[in-house]
This record gives sequence, structure tokens and C-alpha cells, in this order.
Amino acid sequence: MARYLGGLLALLFSASICGAVTIPGPISDAHRSVASELFGGSFSSLEEAYEAIRVFEILGIGNKPDVSATTCKQVVENLGSSSPVKDLFYALKVNGILKCKVNADVFKDIAVRVKATVNDASTLVDMYHSIASLVLIKDQASDVDVLLADADGIFHSIKALSQSDGRWRYSSDNPESSTFAAGLALEALAGVISLASSEIDQSRVNTVKNDILKLFDSIEKYDDGTFYFDEKFVGGREHQASLSTTSSVVRGVTTFASVISGKVNLPGNKVLGLAKFFLGIGIPGDAKDFFNQVESLALLENNRVSIPLVLSLPETVYSLSKKDQLKVRVNTVLGSAAPPLTVKIVRAFRSDAKDSAIFESKELQYDESNGIHVLEVFPDNVDVGTYVFVFEIVLHDSAGENVFATGGQIHVPIYVTGIIKVSNAEIVVLDSDLGSVETQKKLDLAGNVVVELSANHLQKLRFSFQLTTPHGHPFKPHQAFLNLKHETNHEHVFVVGNTGKKFEIILDFLGLVEKFYYLSGRYDIELTVGDAVMENSFLRPLGHVDLELPETPEKAVRLPPLPLDPYSRYGPKAEIAHIFRAPEKRPPQNLSLTFLSLTLLPFIGFLVGLLRLGVNFKNFPSSAAPATYAILFHLGIAAVLLLYVLFWLKLDLFTTLKTVGLLGVFLMFVGHRILSHLASTSSKLKSA
Amino acid sequence: MARSSSKDAQDLFRALWSAYAATPTNLKIIDLYVMFAVFTALIQVVYIALVGSFPFNSFLSGVLSCVGTAVLAVCLRIQVNKENKEFKDLAPERAFADFVLCNLVLHLVIMNFLG
Amino acid sequence: MAQDLKPSISSFSLPKTLKLKTKQQELLIRVATLALIYVLAFITRLFSVLRYESMIHEFDPYFNYRTTLFLTRNGFAEFWNWFDSESWYPLGRIIGGTLYPGLMLTAAAIHSLLRFLRLFVHIREVCVLTAPFFASNTTLVAYFFAKEVWDSGAGIVAAALIAICPGYISRSVAGSYDNEGVAIFALLLTFYLFVKAVNTGSLAWALGSAFGYFYMVSAWGGYVFIINLVPLYVLVLLVTGRYSLRLYVAYNCMYVLGMLLAMQIRFVGFQHVQSGEHMASMGVFFLLQVFFFLDWVRHLLSDTKLFQSFLKITVTSAVAVGAVALGVGMASGYISPWTGRFYSLLDPTYAKDHIPIIASVSEHQPTAWSSFMFDFHILLFLFPSGLYFCFKRLSDATIFLVMYGLTSMYFAGVMVRLILVATPAVCLISAIAVSATIKNLTRVVRAKSPAVQSGSTKGTSTAKSSSKGVVDNSQPFQRNGAIVLLLGAFYLLSRYAIHCTWVTSEAYSSPSIVLAARGAHGQRVIFDDYREAYFWLRQNTPPDAKVMSWWDYGYQITAMGNRTVIVDNNTWNNTHIATVGRAMSSYEDEAYEIMRSLDVDYVLVVFGGVTGYSSDDINKFLWMVRIGGGVFPVIKEPDYLVNGEYRVDKGAAPKMLNCLMYKLSYYRFGELTTEYGKPPGYDRARGVEIGNKDIKLEYLEEAFTTQNWIVRIYKVKPPKNRW
Repeated sequence: MARYLGGLLALLFSASICGAVTIPGPISDAHRSVASELFGGSFSSLEEAYEAIRVFEILGIGNKPDVSATTCKQVVENLGSSSPVKDLFYALKVNGILKCKVNADVFKDIAVRVKATVNDASTLVDMYHSIASLVLIKDQASDVDVLLADADGIFHSIKALSQSDGRWRYSSDNPESSTFAAGLALEALAGVISLASSEIDQSRVNTVKNDILKLFDSIEKYDDGTFYFDEKFVGGREHQASLSTTSSVVRGVTTFASVISGKVNLPGNKVLGLAKFFLGIGIPGDAKDFFNQVESLALLENNRVSIPLVLSLPETVYSLSKKDQLKVRVNTVLGSAAPPLTVKIVRAFRSDAKDSAIFESKELQYDESNGIHVLEVFPDNVDVGTYVFVFEIVLHDSAGENVFATGGQIHVPIYVTGIIKVSNAEIVVLDSDLGSVETQKKLDLAGNVVVELSANHLQKLRFSFQLTTPHGHPFKPHQAFLNLKHETNHEHVFVVGNTGKKFEIILDFLGLVEKFYYLSGRYDIELTVGDAVMENSFLRPLGHVDLELPETPEKAVRLPPLPLDPYSRYGPKAEIAHIFRAPEKRPPQNLSLTFLSLTLLPFIGFLVGLLRLGVNFKNFPSSAAPATYAILFHLGIAAVLLLYVLFWLKLDLFTTLKTVGLLGVFLMFVGHRILSHLASTSSKLKSA
Repeated sequence: MARSSSKDAQDLFRALWSAYAATPTNLKIIDLYVMFAVFTALIQVVYIALVGSFPFNSFLSGVLSCVGTAVLAVCLRIQVNKENKEFKDLAPERAFADFVLCNLVLHLVIMNFLG
Repeated sequence: MAQDLKPSISSFSLPKTLKLKTKQQELLIRVATLALIYVLAFITRLFSVLRYESMIHEFDPYFNYRTTLFLTRNGFAEFWNWFDSESWYPLGRIIGGTLYPGLMLTAAAIHSLLRFLRLFVHIREVCVLTAPFFASNTTLVAYFFAKEVWDSGAGIVAAALIAICPGYISRSVAGSYDNEGVAIFALLLTFYLFVKAVNTGSLAWALGSAFGYFYMVSAWGGYVFIINLVPLYVLVLLVTGRYSLRLYVAYNCMYVLGMLLAMQIRFVGFQHVQSGEHMASMGVFFLLQVFFFLDWVRHLLSDTKLFQSFLKITVTSAVAVGAVALGVGMASGYISPWTGRFYSLLDPTYAKDHIPIIASVSEHQPTAWSSFMFDFHILLFLFPSGLYFCFKRLSDATIFLVMYGLTSMYFAGVMVRLILVATPAVCLISAIAVSATIKNLTRVVRAKSPAVQSGSTKGTSTAKSSSKGVVDNSQPFQRNGAIVLLLGAFYLLSRYAIHCTWVTSEAYSSPSIVLAARGAHGQRVIFDDYREAYFWLRQNTPPDAKVMSWWDYGYQITAMGNRTVIVDNNTWNNTHIATVGRAMSSYEDEAYEIMRSLDVDYVLVVFGGVTGYSSDDINKFLWMVRIGGGVFPVIKEPDYLVNGEYRVDKGAAPKMLNCLMYKLSYYRFGELTTEYGKPPGYDRARGVEIGNKDIKLEYLEEAFTTQNWIVRIYKVKPPKNRW
């Protein structure tokens, strides 16, 4: 139990520290190593290949040459044949990064083919793929004519799928609208704009901008300022998770913003919230998710809407005993340096007292060499506890306000830890009635001294101690338990309450006999004091007390069974050793054979005796009919005996019984004939 | 005492033998058959006493086959003995038929039990 | 009954048979009477089929039915090697080696014969009607037996008496598919053939007797009675100087062949040469050899003095050899000592002290006088007079009958269920009494004026009357007295017939798996809760679920519910049963551990508090405690008693109020009002208000309770996810 308590303590502690990091840091090296693992294998499709290559490109990981070679081969094959638009799209995307050697003629063929599909594409996805392919061809082969003649018409047909809330439908005959589709549509529209042979009407572009704003009205949000898009409809063909939905929207919006002349005015905190969403995912284990996260972040890193800046703290724990510096880092989402700026602490307050600020308005120094902002002097009046620091980022270049999203005031919980002083520990055994002190022991809880006590049920045990912070204030930890454990492993936990400055518990054994199940004997005492901000949390034995409790009365509550060790109960069982029956002892073969021959002796004796007696066949019937019957009778008996031998050797009971039945009828018949013949002759003899 | 008892025994056996000599030949044959069965059974018992009775069913069927044969033969002997007035009504042929029947059943069971 | 029938039969068939000779007439009447008795014995056992339906009764028959079903489906070889994993979980049971297969083989043989005759009946119908069919056959055997012992008149009477005797009917009504049904037939057949063999000295009859014995061994454990009674009889004949060569032939042949045949039954195996119960027969066998040998030698030797000395030598050596063999056998453990069941037969108090599992069965209790009266009625009074007649005409056969009667009566007094064994003997001896008395009386009556009684006198007595001299001194009132006595005898016999019919209809024809009661307005109420519960189990639980219940219901659960049970009525493993008893009498948490270790999924209890059904688990509970406590000393009977009293109300022992059985029986019972004007939670079976109405179950949950709450099934919850 004590072990579990300790484990629980550690768990709580670590959990509280993890919870403190509410602002995730930018993409780091951990991402890179996971990426090479996730995308290390071979790719079953060009889509996967593209995702891998794109991730490597963004994260700056070099491609393996053989990967590029094989993928290029696939790309060329795909472009040469008349594969569907979707495959062409991905092939072109891969080619955009890998720059494989593709004939210019091939691009021309494709462009013609794709242009044809653009015009008669009915669904949004098809349109998206073909337009995006054209854009890619435009980038890769400048001499190919990819400009769309009827850009306005196409623009209109895509726009016709939009809904009033800013979402799009997949096709005209599908009433369901989707956020994911909105992203695709925006990207397609951007493509149309860039491919248009003539300028697209600005008013149309503005309506799309409006759509975007409407779309951002339906954005979902978490309490900590994270924003994301979620797919509303569930009945669709392919349900998209919030990550891919958000990623699609980000891709669409940034692409769209990059091709239009004006600016898309989105609130900075929402863009920052999207960045937080992608960063907050951590490192996904799925390749698709990983790609979506990394690509979206890359798009956010450099876009024309607004570029989010991420404020992160390497450590949110400040130790009073170590006197560290509080450090703050500001980066873009992919971890590159931010423009010149100053970080300010607007104010700081205890997390349980929001209104009273401990200090206000402090500016952090910028440490050029490490690229971090440092709070040089930690204020003296901060005692141990949990605090919330409010940071603000101030850009030096005021024009940057439009380009960068800083997110205004950022609340960060900070743990200030320190060593708590334990003093005045005392353990006393008292007489219940008189209150007189029986034994009194002082304890130094920092040391390893243990006490030995004895008490009976008419006495009380009082235990008390004090806790003070480094600043001399009384400290109240999360946990203060006193633990009594009997020799039989029955355990009782008491919470030590505090009265003002002092922690004290009085165990009146008379009232506790029921709870102790009348178990007399030695109880080990253990004290647990722990808190997240207490650097010297401890769990230590205090010694033991010999309790004398009254006899168990008749109707007492029975002792509950001890909780089993889960490992012995659910763990592997001991292997079963099989016991086999030992084969019976057999005598040596010679002995058996000897006795077999011995059993023949009486038989020989029998034959000899018969000869001595002068046995003869005089009585055998002489006339023909009885003689045949007699012979048949003996033959029948012989046949039955032979059958028995066969039965012993191979036959089973039922076959034997059937045959015996048949032979028996025959025997009965001939036996009756011969015996009645004999009887008649003998009676004739007698009468004669 | 010992001498007198051994003398008694000699007298006894002599008397027995002389009395037995008068038995008809067919009864003697049956007696011989009984002796044969009994001795075979004895040999088996000795064998079991020496090596243990592991295939107990085989041992039992061996011994009981002999014992059964002997007992049935004794029954036959009783029934065909003309001196036994109780069996006047029973023809020796009928007795022989019963004997054969019992023997056949006996050995069928023995074979089943032999293992 | 037969006596009642006879006048009508004879008057009925009189015109046709007028032309026949007296002997032929007599034969025809006899055969017709026997045929009627044969039919009567069958139909009087059909009450339960008419009143309920064609179904198997009680507990053990369900096992027999299940094995028969298995036999007909899978054939003999499969059956013989059947390892049943559905019972005695987790041990299993080797069915082929631990049962008497006679009954199943008989039913399967009848079934296949019927199919061969193109009569396609279900095996269940065959099973239901096997016992009545064999009861009919028993009447025939009884006829021949009594004819062999006394005369054919006594045979007819015996057949009639045994056809309707309640002591026999109790075990052979339709649906009572139990070993005893065929075993009594086999028992009587063996005895009859043996007596016949002793009377004739023929090997063939002895062989028949050995086969009868073989059938008996294959059918019922009661064969031990035969293997001890017959040697005892031989011994008595030897002692009383009635030794004969016929006896020698009959016994030896029967013993050797019977023993060998019996060894073919795996469940019996080597017991004939190893167990103490069978040693008497072997001892008598050897004794008979010695005796024969001495007799033969004496016959050979004319000199008595020589023979005396020879006798001395042989007797001392024989005794010495016998004693040494017995001593060595006992000391080396080769001959196993008598089993507890055997002891409990000889000493009625033995079981109560030593084997609670035997004592817990109600039919193993000593017999009360009332049940003798109930089962035998006037036979109880006719029995001594029959003995008198037997002693008056002493012969080898009557001595056998007397010994059979006396020993079986003693055993019937020891154990209720052994009344069954005594019934044939009582019927036979009583038949002798009835036959002899009536014959004497009619002779007195007929001596003066034969014409008066010719119509109603019994054909049987006319046949034999000529053989005996007329003895009466013909006093004037003698005839009237005889007539009065005859009428009295007829009256008694008709009372007997009425009693038998009444008992059969009222007491012995209830299947006990469907309960019947009289409702408030006198109408018949049927409680079909057992089958409801078993079919629930069959249809709503996973096929591999293990059900724990007290062993009484094990056979029924496997047969009807088709689920694996922990213990069943084949009480071969006392420790296993004690484990279940311990679980039932422990607190819920302790019981849970036991049930987990046994892999139990469901617990089934039988509860009669709502219906007033008294043979429920709470009433059997003390036996669970005793049996559990016999193996696990943690369970102590006094913990469940208050001042030696067994209570379930408020004054009950705290352990009683909190043990698993109590909780499972009375769960939610406190909310129920069972009887008008009584508080809720009023237990009608025990007539008290229960003591613990607020029962919470922690490790089990109620899964199913039948309509009348007779069967309650609980599911054992899986272990908690956290600790």
C-alpha cells in the first residue's frame, strides 16, 4: 500500500507538471526522428510517396537516393499512361519536389487531357484534382499552355457549391455540406484564379473572402485558446477527422490568400489557435496525420494571412532553492527565429487568488546568444505555490502587427517549488480518561529515527508536526497521511488534519477497535507528506506501536480478506508438472516362458494319464448317420473354440456373439441328434 | 506320535487308493481332467506369487478358466456317477450337453476378459 | 385384485370351455389370469403419464435418460468409453466405467427392436415405459418362482400381489427410469433360476441363474445382496445338514460363471475377488469344495476311524490355509475392507456418524412403521403366516424364500429404499399364506357340497385339491365358519387392491419435477418451475457455462439444461461436494473466491418460500453445512444454529443470515407478500418471517427467477477491473 501511495504521489506530481505546459513548443528534432521512422518504408501509392517526400522537404531531411529513383520511375509511368486524374495529381506533386526527368510533350498531353476533364467534371473532388494538376503543370513546365479560357465559368460552377455558412458541398446532387470540401474548394478557386487567362471579377473574389470569414465563424475551440475545424456531417462517404479537416481548410485558405491581390482579414488569435491545435497534437503515430500536421504548419509558417508566433517555456517550474532564471522562447511554428520583439510579464498572481497580483509589468531581457528571453531577477515576495504569469509579446516593428499573430496576453501557470521545513514533530501516548501523558517522544522527521510505543485500547495516540515554507508561512500539503499497518498486512490510513499552524491527529483506540477488527499486536506507523511544490516530499516509517485491543466479541465484523497481490492473481501461474503413470513392472521374459512351458506339464500328464487308463474310441457310433453327426458335433465345438481364439486375437465382441449364435444353433441341432442317439442306445442296453 | 500319525496317513492313503481303484474308467478320465485343470491353476498361482499380478485380468481369467473347468468337470462327474441317487432322472447325455454349454459360455467370457 | 377378477373371468369363459377337460380348463384360466395380471401390472403404473405427461421423473432417471440418449446416438463403443466433461467440472467423469449399464442397454435394445419392427418411437417413450414393462415381466417371474416353491395357485396369487404392491410400484411407475426398475426383475429372476437349479441340480439352470446375476450386476448395485444371500443360504443348508450334490452343482456353477460375467462390467471390475463384501461367497465356495471332498472321501472309506483322523488333518489344514489367506489379503490391502455403505446397512447408525452424504438422502433413513404399512398393507400381516406355512412344509426352496424374506425385511427396516428389495419376498410369502389358507378353507367348504361354490371357487385350488387328502372332521359350524373366513379374506384382499390403487394414484405417481398442489378452491395447481429454469439455462446461457448447485439437481441440469455442473447425484467425490457445500455456507466474498476457483458462471438454488415447497435448499442446508464441515473444519455446524435450533427468522444465527445460501434464497424476498395477512417476507415453507430482508449481493447478480420462485439462478460477476 505504501508503495502505491508513493507511486500515486509521483504520478500526481508528474501529472501536475505535465499539465503546466499549456503552450506547446514548436516542431523539434523529435519530429524529425519520428518522421524518418514513419515514412521509412516503401510506399504503396504515389499519394503516400508524396506525403513522405513533402514531409522530408519541410523538415529538411534528405531523401534517400533510391527512394527518389524508384518514385521517379513510378511518376514517369503514371504520367505516360492514361491514369485517372487523382493519380496524375499526385504524380505531378511528387514531380514538383523531386524534379524527375519528364518529357515536355508528356506535360502537353496531360494538360490537354486535364483541361478536358475540368470542363466536364461534376464533383468538387474531380475539379480540385484537375485544376490543381494544371497549376502544377504550370509550375513545372512553363511552355505548356494551361490557361483556362472559361475561368469565370469554372469559378462560378465551383462557387455554386458553396453554402451560406461558408461550407461546401461535394457535388450539386449531394445536399450535405462539408468543411473538408470547403478547403478543397478554396484551393481549387485559388488555382482557377492563377490559371485564369483574364482577370477574375474582384467582386467574386470578395464573396469568397466573405465565405472564408463565415467559415471561420463556425470554428471550434478549446478553453486554452486552441481553434480547429470539425466535420459536422457524419453520414458522408468518407468521414474526415478534425485534423484532416482543419488541415484542408488551412491549405485552402493560405493558397487562396496567396493568389489574390488583397488580404484576407482573419483574427490573429484564431490563426494562432490553429497553430496551437497542430502543435498540441504532439507527434502523431499515423503517417497521414503526421503529413497533415507538418504540411499545415509549414503553410502557417509562411502565409499571407498572418504568421503565428509561439511563446514557449523550457521549464514551467521555478525552484526557490536552486534560484534558476525563468526563460521564455518565442518562435515560429517550425521553430525558426521570430522578428525582433520584447516579452513582457504583464502581471503574475497566485492561481487561487486571481485578483491580487504579486507583481506587475516586468520586461524580460533578450539573450542574443541563445535566442531566449530571461527574467533576470525573480521577485522576492514569491513563496512556494502555483502561480499564473501573464506574458505579452511586443513587436519592435509595429508594421509587423499585420503580418504576425502574437495572441495578445498569454497565461502560463508556473510552479514555484521550495524546501518545506518540518518541525516540532511529536508523538504522544495519552490516557483516555485523565488525559495524562504516558509516553512522549520527540521526532526529527528529517532523520531516520524511529520510535517504539505501546498502548492499549483505553489510551490515545497523538501525533503532531508543523510545516513552514522558506518564507516562514505555514504550509498545507496535498497529502498528509498517517498509515498504521498490522503484522497481518491489514492497513489503516488516517488523514492528518491541520489546525492553524499545526498538523495533529489523535487516534482514540477505543473508538477504533471496530475499525481495527480487534487485531492486537504490532502496528507499523508510516507518515506520508507530499505536495507538487514541495521539493522534499517524503514517505517514512515512524516506528511501531504495540496495541493491546480487547478480545473479539461474538458479533464483531469479520476480518476482510486481504487484497491479493494483483501480480500473483492475474500474473502467470506456475507451470503444471504432469504426473504420468509409471508403467507396471514386467517380469523377465525368460521366467514367463519357463512358466508357459510349465503349464504344459499338467497337460502332458493328462495325456499320459489317459494312455495309462487305456482310453479308446470304442463308444464312437459305428453306423453312418450318427457318426456324421458325432463328427459334425466335434467339428462344431472345434469351430467355436477357434472362433474364441480369433476373438482373442482380432474380432470384437459383437461379431463374435453373432457368429457364436449361428454356430450355437448348428451345435444344438447336431448335439441333440448325437446325444439322443447315444441315450437311446444306452437305454436299450439298460433294458436289455 | 509323529510316527503313529505318519503310519495312520499311510494307512489312510492305501485305503483311499484301493477304494478309488474301483471307480469306473469314465469317471477316472474326468478325475484326471480335473487334476490337470487344478495343477495348471496352481502353476499360474505360483507364477503370480513370484512376479506380481500386474495384468490382473489376465491372471484372473487364466486361473478362473482352470478353476471353472475343474468345477464344471466335477459337476459333470457328479451327475454321471451312477451311485448318486439324486441324479437318477438326469440322463448322462443331458449332463454332458449342459457341461458343453457351460464350458462354451465360460470360455467366451474368459476370452473377453483375457485382454 | 386377482381374486376379484377371477370369478368374473371364470364365469365369462365358462361357456366356451365347457367341452374342455378339467385340466385344460384350469390351464386356460391360469394363462388368461396371468395375461390379465401382466396387463394390469403395466397399466396401473401409467397414472403419472395420464395425469401429467410422458416424462422422466425425479433426479437419477435424468442421468439414465441422458446416457441412454447418448448410447442410442453414438453407439455402444462411444458409450463405453464416454468421458463426460459436463459434470463434475473441472474433474469430469468417466461415465462408461462408473455406471451400471444394464438399464441403458436394455432401453436401447428395446428401442432398436422397435425400430427394427418399424415402430418409430422416441427413445424417451421407451425410457418412460421401461419400468412398467419390467414390472409386468416381474409378475411372470413371481408366478414361476412361487410355483417352484409352492404351487401354481400360490404363483397366481404372488403374481397378482406383486403386480400392484405399492412397495414395488413406488420405483417402477412410468417415467421412473431408474436402475431399480429392471433390477428387481433381474433379482427375482436370479433367485428363481437359482432355486430351480438347486431343485434340479442342473448345470443349465445354474447357467441361467449366472446370466440372471450378470444382468442384475449390470443393472444395479444391489447385486451385493444376491452375492451375500446365496452363500448364506448355502451355509445354512450345510449347517442344517441339508447339503446335497444338487446344491453343490448349482452354487459352484452359478458362482464361478456369475463372478466371471460380473467382472465384465467395468464398474464392478475386480471387486468380486478384492472387496470384503464379496469375500463371503468366495469363502463358501472353498468351503463347499472342502465339504465335497470330505464327503467323497467318506464315501470311499468305509472305516470311520480312518476318516475321523483324515477329517482332522484336512479341516485343520483347510482352516489354517483359509485364515492365512484372509489375513495376508487383509494385511496387504489386497482385500479392501467393507465400504461405508455396506457398514451402514449392517449398522443403521453408522452413516449418521460417519458419512453425512449417505445420511443426507431421505431414502437412506431408517424406515418408519407407517411406511411399512403404507407399502405393504395387509401383506405385513400375511407375511408371518406365510412364514408359518413355509416352515410347515420345509424344503430347500422354502428355506431360501424364508431367508430371502427375513434378511430383506431387516434391510428394509434399515433403509427406506430397501423396502423395494423386500417387496418380492413379502409378496411371495404372503401369496403362500393366502393360497394355502384359501385352499384349506375351500376344501372345507367343498367337502360338504361342492356345487355351491363351483362358480366362484378358484380354479387353482381345484387343480390341486385332488392331490391332498381331505382332513376336516366336518363339524356343522365349520363350513359356515369357513365361508365367513373366506369372505373375510376376500374382503381383505379387495381392501388391499383399493389401497394399492389409491397409493399409486396419490403418492407414487408424481414426477417431482413438476409439482402439483391444491389451490385455494380445491383446483389443481401445477408448478412447472424446474423445467422453466432448465430451459432458461439451455437457451440463455453460453454453452460452456458452468452451473453450481447442490448435487441433487446436477443430473437434471446436465440432462435438461445441457450445461456443465460442478457436482451431481453421482456422489463419487465427497471433497468436491464438500467444496460446494462450503461455498454455499460461506459469506459471499469467501464463496466468491471458491466459485472463481471452480470457474462457476451461474449458481442455481431451489427455494420454496413462496409456494410452501418444503424440500428446498434452505431445508437441505444443514446437510450442506455438515458435508462441507466434514472436509473443511472452518465450517462449523453450531455457527448456523441458535441453541441447537435451526431458524431463519430474526433469531437466526448471524452467520446463517449472511451465508450465501441464505442470501441467494431470500434475495428480494423481503419485498414480497406471499400470504394475505402476513408481513412481507413471510416464508411459507417454514412459516416464519425471514430475519434478513435487506439483502445486497456484491459478487453475484440475479439472472433468472422462475414464476413461482422455486428455482432462482444467479450469475457470478466477473472480477472487478481494479483492485
